[in-house]
Amino acid sequence: MPANRTSSLVGREGLGGPYFLLTFLHPEIARDARPGQFVMIKAGLSAEPPLRRPFSILEASPGRETFTLFVKAIGPGSSALCTLPLGGVAQCLGPLGRPFSAPPEGTEALLVGGGYGIAPFSFLGAELRGRGSAARVFYGGRAKADLPLLGRLRAQGQDVVAATEDGSLGVHGRVTLPLEAHMDAVRRPQRLYACGPEAMMHAVARIAAARGLAAEVSLDPWMGCGVGTCLGCVVKVQGESDARWKYRCACTEGPVFDAARVVWPGESESRARAMAVAAPTREGERA
Amino acid sequence: MRLAVELAGIRLKNPLIAASGTFGYGVEYEGVIDLATLGGIVSKGLYLEPRDGAPVPRIAETPSGLLNAIGLQGIGIHAFVRDVLPRLRAHDTALLVNVCGDSVEEYAEVARVCDGAPGIAGLEINISCPNVKQGGMAFGGDPRMTHAVVAAVRGATRLPVIPKLSPNVADISVFARAAAEAGADALSCINTLIGLAIDVETRRPRLGFGTGGLSGPAIRPVAVRMAWQAARAVKIPVIGIGGITTAQDALEFLIAGCRAVQIGTANFVDPGLYPRVLDELRGYLERHRLEDVGDVVGTLQYPGEVVECKTGGQG
Repeated sequence: MPANRTSSLVGREGLGGPYFLLTFLHPEIARDARPGQFVMIKAGLSAEPPLRRPFSILEASPGRETFTLFVKAIGPGSSALCTLPLGGVAQCLGPLGRPFSAPPEGTEALLVGGGYGIAPFSFLGAELRGRGSAARVFYGGRAKADLPLLGRLRAQGQDVVAATEDGSLGVHGRVTLPLEAHMDAVRRPQRLYACGPEAMMHAVARIAAARGLAAEVSLDPWMGCGVGTCLGCVVKVQGESDARWKYRCACTEGPVFDAARVVWPGESESRARAMAVAAPTREGERA
Repeated sequence: MRLAVELAGIRLKNPLIAASGTFGYGVEYEGVIDLATLGGIVSKGLYLEPRDGAPVPRIAETPSGLLNAIGLQGIGIHAFVRDVLPRLRAHDTALLVNVCGDSVEEYAEVARVCDGAPGIAGLEINISCPNVKQGGMAFGGDPRMTHAVVAAVRGATRLPVIPKLSPNVADISVFARAAAEAGADALSCINTLIGLAIDVETRRPRLGFGTGGLSGPAIRPVAVRMAWQAARAVKIPVIGIGGITTAQDALEFLIAGCRAVQIGTANFVDPGLYPRVLDELRGYLERHRLEDVGDVVGTLQYPGEVVECKTGGQG
């Protein structure tokens, strides 16, 4: 059950440029958060900007009663969070949303993060490694500066393949390049997880569909409330028993969705429907 | 100290009601907050049948405000009565249903369904949604249609009937009188103001529907003025709505003549605000040596007008 409370900032680490790791005290989120879940948070009690913002949970520490966010200061909401002084307070509701599901035993999890979409894969990757599951992270961005979490992920012991579009770090090209190369080279059951720009998630969905693999994506539309009351964050998703797509709240029915059931922009609704029907149904254990 | 108010035969334990469209069906907040701290809850707008709502994007943040075009996505009245109401009734708060329709007949039919369902305290009649292509504003923008809808609903139910008026009209008092004459028991004032936000890079509206309804603190002075005008135009009680986030905001509406208020957009910002606002409200009453929240209602000392005020000189 999500908890709504005032949460104080207990740690801030600048990662260069607009990127920060922010750690907040919040016992319920620390205890209950699952990889893929998010919080609705707003710095201070000021009237501007009006709304809280959704952020994926990077890490939760039940022992310390804290959780950590990976925040890129790009607008008034995220900037206010990143300039909050230590000990300053935020209003925070969480954990929210449907988490990633765990891959079946013996399946390699391929976690594809683009830009700040990498956040949930620190959590998921660490958890999968902790239980001895095979997991590999593919971390992409335009340039080296867009991959500020790379060192931290590697320090966690995660297998990370970096890719940049300008070639300034790792593989030169889009993150799907090393992803597909790995899938071609390693022949074993795999499951894909993606979070990042919509075009990247759509590409991962297509790769999974072409190979008959399951994929989960974490969608990131504008959110107003985080609990399914404003109906602002809806996405077109084809349900298992639906005759056609329905608008579903990304906050409560997602943010994690079966990639094959998402009606992607520019994709015909009938194709999504065909893919959804063809995709294997699975009700796995929640990761 | 008395915070309870009675309005159109509905007893509210305090004058704070969650506004339609900002609180879902109430059950979404079960476990997050104590729903019994609210005076009442107005459901998301309900037609007879489920609705998809408007295309995305549906919300855009604006200065001190929120522009939305959700388009009344909803589960329909039958699913609400069957699946939600039994759960919602477990909470000690007044439950109001926001009634929508594409036709006068549909409004009446939804009201009839509610009439037979136990646990509903009253009906708010949505004649003012700016984000649907038919219905909504077509009824709220023409006083004869307002009269027709309210009269039809009045004839279909014994429950209190509370039309929610639109601010997108030249003179709200005309609509307040039309609704009262048609048999309304109270009025909700106001719904959102029509706005347009443009993405200058793409030169398209920021909302998928095009225009949207503006809410939040940005609209509060307009809302207080219109609620005040409506309250002066009719004898039935008025519920004030528009940008309330604190007790001070709520008091503006009460002083302007509203018997209760609805809190809307602020629910998204902090669903846990009710205990805080009630504490602030008690503090105000104490400071002004008032025993009953009803004692502030309609005590506005407007320039050139004489109003009896219980405590006199303060403020």
